[in-house]
Amino acid sequence: MTEYYTRMGDGRRVTMTKEQIMNDIQAGTADAADMASIPALNANDIEHMCEIIMDQSRVVGVEPGHEVVMTYDIGQLDFTGDNGNSGNGVDMGRLEAALLHERALGADTFELAHSDYSIKPVKPVISMEMQTMEEIQAEIIAPYFYGAMPNMGLYYAPDGPYGNPADLMREFKIEESMASSEAAAEHLARDIEFVTTRLQAAGSDGFNFDTTGSAGDADFVGTLNGVKKLRELCPEAYINVGAAGESVMGIHGMIEFEGEIAAGLYPHQQAQLVAKAGANVFGAVCNTNTSRSLAWNLGRAVTFIKKAVEDSPIPVHVDMGMGVGGIPMFETPPLDAVARCNKAMVEIAKVDGV
Amino acid sequence: MSLNDDAKNAVMTYNNKKAVEVAKKAVAENADIVELIEKGFSAGMTEVGALFEAKKVYLPHVMAAAAAMNAAMDVLNPELEKRGAEVSAGLGTVVICTIEGDIHSIGKDIVAIMLKVAGFKVENIGRDVPLDQIVDACKKYKPVAVGTSALMTSTMVHQKTFEEKLKAAGIRDSLLTNVGGAPVTQQWADEIGADLYTENASDAAAKFTAAFEKK
Repeated sequence: MTEYYTRMGDGRRVTMTKEQIMNDIQAGTADAADMASIPALNANDIEHMCEIIMDQSRVVGVEPGHEVVMTYDIGQLDFTGDNGNSGNGVDMGRLEAALLHERALGADTFELAHSDYSIKPVKPVISMEMQTMEEIQAEIIAPYFYGAMPNMGLYYAPDGPYGNPADLMREFKIEESMASSEAAAEHLARDIEFVTTRLQAAGSDGFNFDTTGSAGDADFVGTLNGVKKLRELCPEAYINVGAAGESVMGIHGMIEFEGEIAAGLYPHQQAQLVAKAGANVFGAVCNTNTSRSLAWNLGRAVTFIKKAVEDSPIPVHVDMGMGVGGIPMFETPPLDAVARCNKAMVEIAKVDGV
Repeated sequence: MSLNDDAKNAVMTYNNKKAVEVAKKAVAENADIVELIEKGFSAGMTEVGALFEAKKVYLPHVMAAAAAMNAAMDVLNPELEKRGAEVSAGLGTVVICTIEGDIHSIGKDIVAIMLKVAGFKVENIGRDVPLDQIVDACKKYKPVAVGTSALMTSTMVHQKTFEEKLKAAGIRDSLLTNVGGAPVTQQWADEIGADLYTENASDAAAKFTAAFEKK
């Protein structure tokens, strides 16, 4: 029986038969459908995905005319960062990196980022970031944002002033843990307002909130409150909110945004709140399981994202990179897997951008 | 409802007061306390764990359920000692931590709770724990197993070095090694010679119990 070259979720090369690939796609889509109570992929979608995975070409792509918007997170760090930071270790300035993305790599948008890539560490260097933003805006043509993770973990001990919920819960101090999450979320929203409004004043076209909710539901809510404030103060700002995972982790468990409990929300539900906060684009995410095949992961990811695209009141730009969107969790993800996952997201999930 | 049902219900509704009431009633009625723990309180925790894995309840709920169970155990433990009874504890001690260089601890803490519920004595020695310190903890607590969690590809490599350090310390054969964390796979466990790969807290409880019930 013919075997097709494919990948596992950790990037390992494997071969699978068409039957095995189909079975894994079906299991992946069923898992997503069951978790989020959403429709599984239909027979045509599954067959199409299988054809994409079985394609004998190393790189696959979409038909001309079906291209989508390409934008990037993490700023220049994908060049300058080392391998442990999913970068290439090529040293260059932030201006050069921005122009390279615009003029050589075809990026439709790009962003300025600080090496810590989090809201909090930008505060002490805000004047330098504003100056750099102004300088690069004078040269670049593509929409140029500022990007950072809300990364609310930095507000908890030992890095910040609030008690760490993980430590408090381990001591069964559940109410204190919740209060700590709420205080950190308020602090985060204040910092978002401080950082984003200054960068907008320096000429930024907008802001990319990357990996929203990485510290759980309070991180998600704190960020949305910050987004809401940014929208009020800078109505012209182009705001992209990217998520941290397919489900918002319930570290608080009951914190709400606009009357909706954030814990456990799936991409199609996250999109509603992100839009309500005032964002222009939602960056939907589905994390990769390293022990499962690319077929399983892609079947699962496309199921979540397809539903998010259908339900979202704003454009959905799916997060496609190391360990997300069906792509293997590997510092430099294999090109064959990256190309297949992107094609499936455009042709089956119908995403607006990547 | 039976006492077992009441105990299970108290845990699943995170009701410390009710859990203590059920425990006191069981003591007063000279009920089978071992059965109450295993078929009542622990059964409730197992269901909460399953709901957590299905993302129907969240971490604070798991902790609140564990708090209710702990409150009941404070009442039942002295009675167990008095009667000389043994719960299916005695499965042994497990040392657990997040490995050197890695500060992620939530998943590891959930595993620690589920192992406790399964009947292990758990020594949770923290996060970002230097390898030599983990070896020292293994010498001190003499565990039946040691579990290390790594949430990053850059820290999972320490799990391999840890295997070598256990061998160098002459204690590798006296315990099982367990590896977990998002980038960790069965293949990685096989490659470095770890005994158990566990994907999540429920998986850890099931595999640890199976490994030590056999022995």
